[in-house]
Amino acid sequence: MPELAFPLLTAAIAAPLGVSWFARGNSRDLRLIGSGGCAAAALLLLEVLREVSVASGARLAEPLPGPAGAWLAADSLNSVVMVLYCLIALATLLLAPRRDTSALTVRWTLWVLSATLLAYAADHTVLLMAGWLASAIPFLIGPFTAPENWRPRVALLSSTLALLMGCLLMADTGFGIAALAGQGAGGTAAFACLILAVILRKGIFPAHAWVTDAAEGGPLLPMALLFNGHLGAFLLARVVVPVFPELAQGTFPLLSDLALFTAIYAAVRAVAEKRPRSLLALLALSQSAIILAGLESASAEGVTGALVHWLVVASATTGLFGILRLLEVRFGSELTKEGHLGLAQHTPRLAVFFAVCGLALVGLPGTLGFCSEDLLIHGTLESHPQLGLLLPLSTAINAVTLLRLFNRLFLGRLRTGITGIADAVPRERWVLAAIVLFVVVGGVLPKAVVTAQAHAAHVVAQGMERLEAMAGSGE
Amino acid sequence: MSVWQALLLAVVIAPGVVFGALSLLWLLGWTASERVLTRITAATYTLAATGVAALLWHLAATNSFAMSLRMGDWFVVHGYEFPLVLQVDRLSLPFLALTVVLVGLIGQFSATYLHRDHGFLRFYLLLHLFAFGSLLLFSAGSFDLLVGGWELVGITSVLLIAFFQYRSEPVDSALRVFGVYRACDIGLLVAVFAMHHFAGTASMVGGPPVLTGGQATVVGLLLLLAASGKSAQVPFSGWLPRAMEGPTPSSAIFYGAISVHAGSYLLLRAQPILAESGWATAAVITIGALTALHGTIVGRACSDAKTSLAYASLAQLGVIYVEIGLGWTWLAVAHILGHAVSRTLQFLRAPSMLHDYHQMHAAAGGHLAQTGQHYESALPSRVQLWLYRHAMDRGHLDTILDRLVVFPLHSLSAVLGRVDQWGVQRQEPRRRQINRLTLPVRTAGQDGVIDA
Repeated sequence: MPELAFPLLTAAIAAPLGVSWFARGNSRDLRLIGSGGCAAAALLLLEVLREVSVASGARLAEPLPGPAGAWLAADSLNSVVMVLYCLIALATLLLAPRRDTSALTVRWTLWVLSATLLAYAADHTVLLMAGWLASAIPFLIGPFTAPENWRPRVALLSSTLALLMGCLLMADTGFGIAALAGQGAGGTAAFACLILAVILRKGIFPAHAWVTDAAEGGPLLPMALLFNGHLGAFLLARVVVPVFPELAQGTFPLLSDLALFTAIYAAVRAVAEKRPRSLLALLALSQSAIILAGLESASAEGVTGALVHWLVVASATTGLFGILRLLEVRFGSELTKEGHLGLAQHTPRLAVFFAVCGLALVGLPGTLGFCSEDLLIHGTLESHPQLGLLLPLSTAINAVTLLRLFNRLFLGRLRTGITGIADAVPRERWVLAAIVLFVVVGGVLPKAVVTAQAHAAHVVAQGMERLEAMAGSGE
Repeated sequence: MSVWQALLLAVVIAPGVVFGALSLLWLLGWTASERVLTRITAATYTLAATGVAALLWHLAATNSFAMSLRMGDWFVVHGYEFPLVLQVDRLSLPFLALTVVLVGLIGQFSATYLHRDHGFLRFYLLLHLFAFGSLLLFSAGSFDLLVGGWELVGITSVLLIAFFQYRSEPVDSALRVFGVYRACDIGLLVAVFAMHHFAGTASMVGGPPVLTGGQATVVGLLLLLAASGKSAQVPFSGWLPRAMEGPTPSSAIFYGAISVHAGSYLLLRAQPILAESGWATAAVITIGALTALHGTIVGRACSDAKTSLAYASLAQLGVIYVEIGLGWTWLAVAHILGHAVSRTLQFLRAPSMLHDYHQMHAAAGGHLAQTGQHYESALPSRVQLWLYRHAMDRGHLDTILDRLVVFPLHSLSAVLGRVDQWGVQRQEPRRRQINRLTLPVRTAGQDGVIDA
């Protein structure tokens, strides 16, 4: 396997982790240092992305001697999402209100970043397992738990155990993910465990309820960071499709239908939801379930659309959750009251950022969401002509729900007694402007993003091709 | 790219560039004054109108039927392409001219109408975005690109209905309109997919894709669904009076002129597809006739000027649909242009209607003849009463949609919410436990301190 020029992946994973444990200072300093750690990791991963592009998307191994080096690899599937995840973590740290950025919070946020990067970069089932578990630890026993809500902890723990079982069952055949391709290691039992892990981590019906619980009871921005890892979708694309092409062939229609059902279920469920956090979590769940449906559509448009949509959902929901948290901090309990709140009168820029992020999430033309929705609709309708109709339907319902939330938060008459309210301060404004710029420029000139993700789709398609070949030969 | 093609591109993207530049400057902290905004608007649409006139002259002088500009593909994924193609022909050119002229006029009118309004900048930004969406819609060389313009027109329409955001009625009305738009837009999205699936393309250059009878029926009916939502045809007519909550200039340009006719334009573009299917043609004619009847009946019982005008528009839109269904394309185009211009004028004069009436009343020496009691007086009184009740509830269309769609959806959502909460105690959000990690909570309402 060709190698990277330097051990960039190890450095990128270690940078946030090192910062999180060795940096000292008050919370303000730690936020700055942590942001530096995220930025450094992003820069290192940009270099990885460049090298992968030069190698035409080929898988590049880490050049470290010994087993650790051979356990990490980058290709077009993980290099883009690793950069994105670093930037999302950076945005999360910068957007967080001061009261949410204690030293402990910053450290655990960086821990989640490092752990998720480890899972993305893993070319070995043990490392994948370690990254998966480590990214969930702060939400299981760490500071990001929601003590009163047991469902998020049960879902995360169950998904981790399912993945552990799957990896153990595959262990007889080997540990290297690339080497396991096409071998169906562990058979049906391992496949079932991995699918269970995907369903639980991704919040696919019937394991969806934990997502709203987590959003409602836990700290909002770290929860958004957890959702936006999309490790369930990544596990499917990285391990399930290439390792179990034969089993995937029979199961994908069912899984895809389940993902589409989750999308419409969450969309309908959000219609009568009044709590802003739950409502936004349901929107994120519905739109991210579409990613899974696209990946399972087994068509080039669908898979590419899913991978582009991954970027859209991750960036737009980071912006939306961030703005919601900023509003919570500014308005306190007023935010959960019934009726229109009229906040646009004092926070017009936050309103505009919210509208653009939201409309990108539901596929407004001129944003990257429009391109991803276009590809997804073509992909899913091509592979599932009847159930594929649920995708535009769920997107339409989500759009209306999102406008309802926007109207409720920002329009109407401002409540009496609310004074001294600031619009987006410069730190928040620059972060939100960067997110908006990404979804808008990506939407106006989508070729670069779509082409990059089409290369990533090719990696998934290599597994699919085995699947197609078997279908063609009547196996 | 020839000079004429460059001109076409410039005309289409000019409002989009103005919108982007002004929005960016606002986000960076600079707000354009009213005078600057109106001058930029006037310059943009004067130049755009000149450009459209030049294109018209060029096509007439060269005896060309059409001109297209292919700018490559927006994106390509294996066999699937999203082509960036603009085209002007005898159908799109009148619509382009109508758009730039009317938007320019509305821009000038609104400078006075919205003078010192808090939302002055917002109105102009949305007007430019709407113009960009409309020009994209009317000059799109493929149905894929048309979807982009179509959606932009829809979202600007909704945001302008909620323009007077301090009242709850416009905000609620905007949500309702958005719901209808999005539901009907599913028809357009699926129709475009179906064109790709059946014919391998959704290009309009040289005519829409060639489809067989059954395929044409499916695509035609899907396009009719989308067009009916945008043009407020029966049974989706209920949103049109709600849309009158927006400022009068936007009502004029959207619901008197451009936006409501976008559906007719879509059907005109898809006429060869409709002609292939008897079912789709019959559906267009039936829906058009029902809408015309509905508009004229309900409009007679409306008590405010803008709603009356909205229903008068609806009646004309129904007639235009019938003309399209019957294949009278050029009559439909002439009807659309005449109707758009005259209706815009009526909408813009609506706020001065009482003043106009009093002037006419005085000029006629206080003896103005009663109008509007010609046809219905021929009906039996019981039928008149029934029709009056029917008209007062606006044909019960909103009630029907509420009972068949909105209420069941809300009920289902509430049931799903209870199912999701099964086995867990629903708790109020616990913010304190989040903050145990951090600083003490201070709320803005208590001491005016912003803790961000």
